[in-house]
Amino acid sequence: MNGSGEGAHGVGRWLREAAITGGIAFLLFAPITGVTLSGYTLEGHWQRPLWLAVWVAVGRFLWSWFRARPRPSPALSRLSGAFSLWLDDHRTHLILILLLGAMILPWFIGKYWLNVAILAWIYVLLALGLNIVVGLAGLLDLGFVAFYAVGAYGYALGHQYLGLSFWAALPFGALLAACFGVMLGFPVLRMHGDYLAIVTLGFGEIIRLVINNWMSFTGGPNGVRAPFPSLFGIDFGRRAAPGHVTFHEYFNLPYSNEYRDIFFYFLLLIVVSGMVFLVRRLRRMPLGRNWEALREDEIACRALGIQPVTVKLSAFGLGAMTGGLGGVFFAASQGFVNPTSFTFMESAHILAIVILGGMGSTGGVIAAAVLLTVLPEALRDFAEYRGLLFGCAMVLMMVWRPKGLMGMRRARFRRSGVA
Amino acid sequence: MSFHIFVQQVVNGLVLGSVYGLIAVGYTMVYGIIGMINFAHGDVYMIAAYLTAIFLAALTLLGVQSPPVIILLVLLLTIAVTALYGWSVERIAYRPLRHSTRLAPLISAIGMSLILQNYVRLSQGGRTQGTPTFLDGSVRLFEQGPDQFVQITHAQILIVVMAVLGMGVLWYLMQATAMGRACRAVQQDRIMASLLGVDGDRVISLVFVLGASMAAVAGTLVTFNYGSFDFFIGFVTGIKAFTAAVLGGIGSLPGAMLGGLVLGLSESIFSGLVNTDYKDVFAFSLLVLVLIFRPSGLLGRPEVEKV
Amino acid sequence: MKRITGGGVARWVLALMLGCTTAAQAETIKIGVAGPLSGPQAAFGEQFWRGAEQAAKDINAQGGIQGASIELVRGDDACEPKQAVAVANRLVDFDHVAAVVGHFCSSSTIPAFEVYAEAGILSMTPASTNPMVTERGLPTVFRTCGRDDQQGVVGAEFVVKQLKAQRIAVLHDKDTYGQGLADSMKAHLTTLGLKEVLYEGLTRGEKDFNALVTKLRAVKADAVYFGGLHSEAGPLVRQMREQGLQIPLISGDGIMSETFVTSAGGPKFVAGVFMTFGADPRKIAAGKELVERFRKAGYEPEGYTLYSYATVQSIAQAMRATQSREGAKLAAWLKSNAVDTVMGSKSWNAKGDLKVSDYVMYRWTATGQYEEVQ
Repeated sequence: MNGSGEGAHGVGRWLREAAITGGIAFLLFAPITGVTLSGYTLEGHWQRPLWLAVWVAVGRFLWSWFRARPRPSPALSRLSGAFSLWLDDHRTHLILILLLGAMILPWFIGKYWLNVAILAWIYVLLALGLNIVVGLAGLLDLGFVAFYAVGAYGYALGHQYLGLSFWAALPFGALLAACFGVMLGFPVLRMHGDYLAIVTLGFGEIIRLVINNWMSFTGGPNGVRAPFPSLFGIDFGRRAAPGHVTFHEYFNLPYSNEYRDIFFYFLLLIVVSGMVFLVRRLRRMPLGRNWEALREDEIACRALGIQPVTVKLSAFGLGAMTGGLGGVFFAASQGFVNPTSFTFMESAHILAIVILGGMGSTGGVIAAAVLLTVLPEALRDFAEYRGLLFGCAMVLMMVWRPKGLMGMRRARFRRSGVA
Repeated sequence: MSFHIFVQQVVNGLVLGSVYGLIAVGYTMVYGIIGMINFAHGDVYMIAAYLTAIFLAALTLLGVQSPPVIILLVLLLTIAVTALYGWSVERIAYRPLRHSTRLAPLISAIGMSLILQNYVRLSQGGRTQGTPTFLDGSVRLFEQGPDQFVQITHAQILIVVMAVLGMGVLWYLMQATAMGRACRAVQQDRIMASLLGVDGDRVISLVFVLGASMAAVAGTLVTFNYGSFDFFIGFVTGIKAFTAAVLGGIGSLPGAMLGGLVLGLSESIFSGLVNTDYKDVFAFSLLVLVLIFRPSGLLGRPEVEKV
Repeated sequence: MKRITGGGVARWVLALMLGCTTAAQAETIKIGVAGPLSGPQAAFGEQFWRGAEQAAKDINAQGGIQGASIELVRGDDACEPKQAVAVANRLVDFDHVAAVVGHFCSSSTIPAFEVYAEAGILSMTPASTNPMVTERGLPTVFRTCGRDDQQGVVGAEFVVKQLKAQRIAVLHDKDTYGQGLADSMKAHLTTLGLKEVLYEGLTRGEKDFNALVTKLRAVKADAVYFGGLHSEAGPLVRQMREQGLQIPLISGDGIMSETFVTSAGGPKFVAGVFMTFGADPRKIAAGKELVERFRKAGYEPEGYTLYSYATVQSIAQAMRATQSREGAKLAAWLKSNAVDTVMGSKSWNAKGDLKVSDYVMYRWTATGQYEEVQ
């Protein structure tokens, strides 16, 4: 338990604990991995639980041993402290370097990783939106996917029925999602913490189910097509629509659909950068301050004359708007939307990004979004173990860093910064 | 809707509601004591369904014939192993996070849910599995001709009876024993309880064990009744059961059962009267409406804000 | 300007990568096998993989394709369109496959096939029956199964003419495949002058359909058509029987799996369930020997196993005949020649659909087997 390892009962106790853990593990594994159902009969695989139990016992022993090692030397923690101080001073440089890196990246990684990168940026956008709601305003939202779906379908259906282009759909989808956010927010915002969570979860499911069931309008499970954006009327396809010109013809290049993806990547990069800038500004404005104040103590805020409902609504609306924006991009990048992309697991994934990133920390959220998008793709090499490893990674990361990759930075003032 | 059809829909709703209620208890107890949503609970129920099928097949292979003996043995074995699963999940994924932010265990629970699903898929295969019909036979009520009857299978009766019984036992444990008092004390104030000599960690483990046991009862009964399960049922049913727990007022035991019944009944009657496509939309809308007018659920105590 | 030079660099890098792989391609031809290898539909993914694996092994044992052996690459989409697109990009760009066998769920196949078509890679699905798959004018897409609109016709004719049912309820599982099937059934019932008494969708993944069954009793249906998969059809038929509803259930190829019997709670519940499926590949002479080999290895080649096998065979034969890996050439060849497969001779029309669809009606028996209805 508290293996701080007094020499008196070191190895012996570790061994005993390892044996007990292994025994429990065997009991757990034996019925599920040791026998498999085949039709109505059983097949035995007795060696499987044994091996698993042995591995667990060995792992437990190593864990005890590792815990008994001396803690990392104070020098190391001093070093990391110095590093974070340095980070504070050179923030702008670092951001510039990272931005430069992000701009060079798409030219070298090939189409597959380029698509993963696009997806990662979409998740960054979504996570930034959810971060406003959960991280800054402290409202637990388990149905964020609803706004994502509204944005995606806003574009796809807007294109189908109103002939909306991607560029028109960007503000349209964002506004539509913001309206939904305010509409949902209005009745439910007086609810408390986790009741709000389940209501938003319900709302997310309602949106998905309605999209799935309303066959005549949304196409139901068949989904809707969403065309790729054009650049000032220039298409990226192999052949141009009548009256249009394609990108490769215009610039006199051989056809490759990679231009299209690179264009899309930069478009997203611009939007994400704009969003990051906006959030950074907002946090220093009264509105942002109110969000964070409300998260810390609602009653105190009310006593100070802050209107909780307006403040929460603004957070909800802004978060939803960002989610809708992400949805429009998602629809355009997939070329097709379908309700299966908007399940509860998707909400959970975005929430995991925000929490892993360290609620409220923009840099952390971006890092976590990239990590949680690239990780499942990188795990593809493990084929069927992918889901298992991803789950393990989620638990381990939470246990390792419960406060997220970069713990939240509370707003601080520096004396020297005051003019 | 004729009388028979209506009664049949009520029966359907009661059976479904009992299952939801049994699972909802696990959500509600854990929430009551540590204030976290245990997203892996649905998957613990799924594991119980697999265990039931495995033990059932094993007992059949061993030549046990008498149905009551089989029911009892399967139930006991399943409860034992499932409870162990509940305990281990808490030990691995939640206890290390006891003193961190409120949302960290939520994510680790989602991770745990992925782990359990994939663990079962990898060891038992991805296909839908089943058990042979074991409790056949049914009762016909109000029979008045070839189409005019209400039919209830024995397994359905068992579900309702066991749900009532399980809730009764749990209620007794929580209200009338020292163990239950310890649980309630920790629920009220963990630090105060520990000052009075109640081991908080132990009580929390106990709550996970009890919740998992109720999920095990649900898993066993569902497997007897529907005979079909896959590694994904925990997710589908889990969300519904969680909704039921919130509907009834999360943290309240009778609330969980009531929420389950309300949800089950409203689903089956809505799909009978209106449309099956939109029954889940109706269920979630009902939840939203109830919470707007009663922000802490049907039987939940309103939260008092202290300054 | 920067854009253009940058594009040049990217192309150069890409060409370098391609160059490396063409050198390696002297010995192996990569073929992607994409489908739900995880997720709730993993049973069908396994059928895909088993069939393709065996086919590759057999072809390689016979000397491969002009000396080059086939190497299969797994692609898991979990029946989710987003993952399907990611997998498709990966197969194209990362693994450089020469052809793709795959995608099971129509909702995954539809977007993924756009990716393959754009890259000019031949793609053939052994199982996606939704008409949209081949209706979009993509030149390099094929399927080795029938189409939902054909299944619905066979189903409707059977229900009305053989079963003489008048009050037909049409149910589906609210997914592309199931609803497509139900809609085509509904459409053909209308042409036969009947209107269904109930048209509703159940939720995939749930197990309790008692309320729906009671509703079937309430509308006094005398036959039920279900568009969906075995995982829901099993509990549905069981609950119908347990509520004392003995009317026939008719479904499509989605219940073609012995898991249907297990999930229904035993053979006695599936007796009298009908389904449409292609002429049983296990009965075709060409396939007999292969079926025996599968059974010897302890695997019943049910559902789409042999479809997947035949798909790999067709791709291999096209590659052999054209000595090419180019999607356009292979597609042109397949559209103008017939291929001998383990499921008999197959040929395709200009859309990439099979010229002859051979849907027939099967009946499940009280022993948990299925037999053709004469």
